[in-house]
Amino acid sequence: MKLASSNEPMDISSPELDGFEIKRRPFLGFGLLMSSVIGTLAVLIYFGAWASTDRIENRALAAGVTESHAEGEWWEDGLIFACPLH
Amino acid sequence: MRNAALWFDKKLGLEEHSIAHYAWVIVGIAGVVQMVGAAIRMAFGVLIDPLVAAFGWTPGSIGLAYALMSIVTALSSPLAGYLGNRFGARKTMAAGTVLFFIGMMWTSQTKEIWELYVAYGIVFGVSQALLLVPVVPAVASWFRRHLGLGTGIMMVSWSLGPALVVQVLAVLFNTVGWSQAFMIVGIAGTATLAVILLFFRNTPEEAGKVAYGTYSSDKPLVTSGNIFVSTQQEFQGYVYKTNAFWNLINIHFLGCVGHAVILVGIIPLGISKGLGPLTAAGVLTTISIVSVITRLIAPILSERLSAKTVMFIAFFGQGVGVFLLLTANSTLDFYIFAVVWAIPYGGEGTAFPVVNRQYYGHSPMGTTYGWQLLGAGLGMALGGVLPGMVFDITGTYTWAIILSAAFSLAGAASIVLLDKSKRQLIPDWPVMETGAVSTDAAARSPVRSNQPGSNPVSGD
Repeated sequence: MKLASSNEPMDISSPELDGFEIKRRPFLGFGLLMSSVIGTLAVLIYFGAWASTDRIENRALAAGVTESHAEGEWWEDGLIFACPLH
Repeated sequence: MRNAALWFDKKLGLEEHSIAHYAWVIVGIAGVVQMVGAAIRMAFGVLIDPLVAAFGWTPGSIGLAYALMSIVTALSSPLAGYLGNRFGARKTMAAGTVLFFIGMMWTSQTKEIWELYVAYGIVFGVSQALLLVPVVPAVASWFRRHLGLGTGIMMVSWSLGPALVVQVLAVLFNTVGWSQAFMIVGIAGTATLAVILLFFRNTPEEAGKVAYGTYSSDKPLVTSGNIFVSTQQEFQGYVYKTNAFWNLINIHFLGCVGHAVILVGIIPLGISKGLGPLTAAGVLTTISIVSVITRLIAPILSERLSAKTVMFIAFFGQGVGVFLLLTANSTLDFYIFAVVWAIPYGGEGTAFPVVNRQYYGHSPMGTTYGWQLLGAGLGMALGGVLPGMVFDITGTYTWAIILSAAFSLAGAASIVLLDKSKRQLIPDWPVMETGAVSTDAAARSPVRSNQPGSNPVSGD
């Protein structure tokens, strides 16, 4: 036996929203999400720059030149530029 | 004796429960869908060596297919959730089954690496979202109350599926080769999905039944028709405007990074500390088995106590527990870690359907859950690459362990900032005004029969 009324059209007016969380702008939740995104990017940039520095050092050692003369790939240079700690 | 049994039933709240309800069929189907869908994904590790041997591709380039699949699944999840709400979980999962078949067959015939990326990374990735996202909200719609119990039983399959399929795939790879193994699993998986979807119903109303845990005083919920579609859009708008919606995506992301680092890194970490490959793999198996307990219990406790508290304990335990690995050097240390850490890890992600119900009532949760799985999927993808990346740079896994703890503890801190989970954040989802209202005495009596309109207080 099916619920006969399930598909019947009904007029449902919008509910009263007083007292619910939806009246506020969700700054806290969105801010936390954005903080995680920024924090994750910071971690990736830090370790990426660390890896890039190592790679450039290794190439410089292999070529017998100083680190400043070793050329980095575009993404290695980009990560080192973006990281304030490297 | 009978009186004692009745006393226990009442004390434990068991008098409200019944095995003879179609909701348990839906839970069983959802468990099999999760098992078939997720297991191939979790078993990707066994695919790497055969592909290296067959084509000479590097493990890194093969691993990129897994990363691509994880990201595609994550990005498709909100859409899959929306499609589940809009067209029903059954149709959405049927589309996922077709893509599952195409993805598995194409993967089995792969000759070039780009084919692996398209077949496994994209086609199979989308199928994962279509299969795994809508099924959880559909199960939720079958439970007017006691969703924690239904969710817990369903979530057990997350652990059992991969454990089973990894063994099956390993045997098949050794006997018939990787290509035929994928074909066999693809055909068997598709056939299984096709058969069980015949018995799947999106809502109790569609099946002509009442939801599990329905009291005789409960009016039926609006679950179909034009009003359903427009009300759903309106209510989803309310959901977007709550802090909890955004924070839950954030929390799922942080928790998944935290445990993905460990799940991916524990075997190489164990081997680096002198464990044999089989012993190290046993640590991962132990984690899978022990976590079954909390996968089952966490949603039930979330419903009975407070989802926020249970989630906090799980995240905090997951974060603090990984520090055991910093001093783990022997086999015993690793197995102690596996048992201790698996308990909070098992409860980390399973309370989300319950907390959605507590915050958003009976509003369809497909889109909301899809967004949460977007966070989870991206977290799993990031957590999957971090251990290898950190090891390549530092030569140890210490920083990976610290990062895992940091992400989990950040998740725990974010949970503290959630609203109280006993408080509904948006208005009640509308009910049909045609439902019968009974007297107070009968109002809280569970409807023991599947069928609407049956005597509300009658036994089975």
